[in-house]
Amino acid sequence: MGRTGQPPARPIIVFERVSKTYENGNPALEDVSFQVHPKDFLFVVGASGAGKSTMVRLLIREEVASRGHVLVDGQDLRRLRRRQLPRLRRKMGIVFQDYKLLPNLTVEQNVAFAIQVTNPGRRHLKEKVAEALYIVGLEDKLLSYPGQLSGGEQQRVAIARALVHRPRIFLADEPTGNLDPDTSWGIVQLLLQINHRGTTVLVATHNREIVDLCRQRVIAVEGGRIVRDEAQGQYLQGGTATP
Amino acid sequence: MNPFPAIRFVLRSALQNVVRNLGISLASLLTVTLTLLGAGGAVVVVHALDAVLHSEESQASVLKVFLADHVSLQSIVELETQLAGQRQVVRAQFESKDAAARQACHGLGLCSALNTLRSTGGGNPLPASLNLKLRNISAVTTINNEVRTSPLIFQGAHPTDYNPDVIPRLERYILIAQIAGAVLVAVIGAVALVIITISIRTAAYVRRREIEIMKLVGASEWFIRWPFIFEGMIIGIASAVVAAGILIGVEFLFGSGHALFLGIGLHFALVVIAGLLVAGALLGGFGSMVGIRRSLAV
Repeated sequence: MGRTGQPPARPIIVFERVSKTYENGNPALEDVSFQVHPKDFLFVVGASGAGKSTMVRLLIREEVASRGHVLVDGQDLRRLRRRQLPRLRRKMGIVFQDYKLLPNLTVEQNVAFAIQVTNPGRRHLKEKVAEALYIVGLEDKLLSYPGQLSGGEQQRVAIARALVHRPRIFLADEPTGNLDPDTSWGIVQLLLQINHRGTTVLVATHNREIVDLCRQRVIAVEGGRIVRDEAQGQYLQGGTATP
Repeated sequence: MNPFPAIRFVLRSALQNVVRNLGISLASLLTVTLTLLGAGGAVVVVHALDAVLHSEESQASVLKVFLADHVSLQSIVELETQLAGQRQVVRAQFESKDAAARQACHGLGLCSALNTLRSTGGGNPLPASLNLKLRNISAVTTINNEVRTSPLIFQGAHPTDYNPDVIPRLERYILIAQIAGAVLVAVIGAVALVIITISIRTAAYVRRREIEIMKLVGASEWFIRWPFIFEGMIIGIASAVVAAGILIGVEFLFGSGHALFLGIGLHFALVVIAGLLVAGALLGGFGSMVGIRRSLAV
């Protein structure tokens, strides 16, 4: 049963026996299966090279699974045509460790950029940008440039940009990788807040301290395999992760 | 959806690209200008040769049939009627001995020689003629062979007058000019295409972070592509304007006419300018599409 006591909705993310081997022959994921339901919050934890980022790349269809199926909102990404890709990505908000902000644009322009390049005729652009910046607590930094902000603030701008078109799924790949513990905690609090607003959130991280503090569903990956999925309440064979 | 914000964004981005990569944009502009100048120049030269060909063809398709002095006017009229009735003859016009003398006097400057002949009792040595305007140049030889045997014809060294050699020669020149022009345009065009492609790849590299973000937030491929295609087209059109300016300048300074376009004709000049603008835009746009293709690989 879901949070509200109603039967769970159709999963918004499905990994079905997914394996991924890169062109150089390196296996990144091996027979990975899990589901994420709408409005869920999920941490994917593991050391560097464990396969977390590959999962994110598969979800945004930067990569295609070598075997198995990845479904987002019922859509099999293997069958997704190239021209359908923008529509898929508009359902998602994505942030990375390195923020990916444009240094020559102000905070406001960086956030507005996401709308300008996807839906340039959209009305109330300024209001939507202001709302996104209010959510991340940067409403007073509209005219600042990324270079004038701290790492945490830059990540907040990236989050605002990912939120501005109101995505159904929010993906964060090592969002706290470059941040100190206090700032990292602030970012995770923000991601939880976004989840409480009804957005499905998937965070790939190696920061176990934060994961432990959050008490959310956790999938642990090692060597490209899932070794623990707390939602199932059991350890998987061969796993070495600690509960 | 209102398209204007999208168009504004695309145009602004394209202009930003041009300005940010000013050096390589100028290099592209120079090579495309050279290409278009070569192409435009070749077209103008071939057009000029073509005009000369038509003029010569028009003159060469005139067959002058010299008449013997003893021929009666009635025989001349009969011959004129007979020739004028032929399908290949457009017009047959009688030129009297006096008219031939006036033509020689005023057209060729032979007045004093003719006067000397007259004063010494030599009379007018020039024969009357039937001037035939033929439908095409190939008919000249046929009609010439037909009339030469007539007893009405002046039986001197040159019973008729026409110039059968000039057309093949001119056609040969035009063919050479066309081949040389095509080779020139192909070689410089290929170089221009490569330079534009490099220019756009550089622009895409400079803006790689922007492209990456556009892809991540779900911008369509065409939305990412258009600013670069417009950038190429802007360079191409600017090059066409420069090339057209140079061609007009050359025509103005060295052309045969006294006023602008008089040498090649205003209508043809406008066609060349329009052609250059279209060619510049296509060259720039195509080079850009090739250049940006790799940057869009997902």
